[in-house]
Amino acid sequence: MQAGRRLRLPPLRLVLQAWPWALLLLALLAVRLSKGAGFADAYAFLSRPFWPGTAQGDWVRQAQRLEDQTRLRQLSADNARLRELLQLRGQSQAERQAPVIAREAGGWWHQLVIGQGAMQGVAPGDPVLAPGGLIGRVASVTPTTATVALLTDRSSHLGVWVARTQQHGLLTGLGTSRPVLRFLEKDPGVRPGDVVLTSPASTLVPANIPVGVIQSLNPFASPAPEAVVQLIARADAVDWVTLLHPVARP
Amino acid sequence: MSAAAQRLGWVASGALVPALTLASPGLLQLGGVGPAWSVLWLLPWALVEGPGSGALAGLALALVLDGLHLGPVSEIPALVVLGWWWGRLGRKGLPIERSFSLGLLALLGAALLGLSVILQAAWLGQLTAPVLYTWLAQTLLTALLAPMVCSLLLLAWRQRRAGARS
Repeated sequence: MQAGRRLRLPPLRLVLQAWPWALLLLALLAVRLSKGAGFADAYAFLSRPFWPGTAQGDWVRQAQRLEDQTRLRQLSADNARLRELLQLRGQSQAERQAPVIAREAGGWWHQLVIGQGAMQGVAPGDPVLAPGGLIGRVASVTPTTATVALLTDRSSHLGVWVARTQQHGLLTGLGTSRPVLRFLEKDPGVRPGDVVLTSPASTLVPANIPVGVIQSLNPFASPAPEAVVQLIARADAVDWVTLLHPVARP
Repeated sequence: MSAAAQRLGWVASGALVPALTLASPGLLQLGGVGPAWSVLWLLPWALVEGPGSGALAGLALALVLDGLHLGPVSEIPALVVLGWWWGRLGRKGLPIERSFSLGLLALLGAALLGLSVILQAAWLGQLTAPVLYTWLAQTLLTALLAPMVCSLLLLAWRQRRAGARS
């Protein structure tokens, strides 16, 4: 190349012919600046039929549930063993299933009648569970049936606590589907969404059975804050319940 | 069938009241609250049989229902008063058989029954705000069902009495 040669611009005709390539370059620059937005979206749209199906998601969730159940069983066994060592409870609980043969979950009384009674070893005070948690306690028995006072009944009072904050309170039925939790302290520090469990201090029912979820909180109630609790177990829909019956330790 | 056996059958029909109370059919509920089956049975019975029999039937029904329900609240005062009152109404003046009259009497009866429960709950310190909803729902539902249920029972029992006299 000769020194001092002048820089020559391309002819205007060539520039006009190359405008599609210039547009392509601009588009690619836009793709680069947008972190590949168009390409990634197009790829997602085209490859959607080949994505992992719901079956794989179910497998993962099933494995997760299995793991959770195993851990829960192990923790429950550990908890029972430790409580026994600490002599916090003198009796262990046996479970039995019973069918619901009559229900009155609305109206003046909130109760269930179950198809097992004194002849099967059911006794007044036995805790009654449904899928999800505690729903009530046996109030009276006949030879072959038992009447369960639901947690929503006006006569129901149960000691519970919020495990997250370790605040205790009294769960009282109002005759509606949602009982009210009256705390013992002025500042319980709970919030909607907290899970309510049976209290470890309760002598009526085993500790830490799920009961419900705090739906709303009234911090200005007197003499202490109150919370409305949504029960986890649905008493108006359950057909079989689980009875916990104390078994004397050998 | 002898008259005594027939009468025993009608008395035994009162067993339907606790059975229906326990079964609490979902189709006949208003917001989870069922009708007062005791009122629906007692009204025609007392209108036909008179105040003494009405009060006794009310007492018998209330004893059974109190046994089935939780707590110390009792239906005895309301059902005995209703049985006696409806029995007196049945013996005075023209026979009550119009649907509107039956519905109105059932409405008043269910309202009185609910009021009795509310007063007892208040006395026991168990009164809560939602009782008003339960009271209204049960009263309305009972009054709506009365023209159908009470009319049929009233017709059957009056025919039975007429047959027994003849």
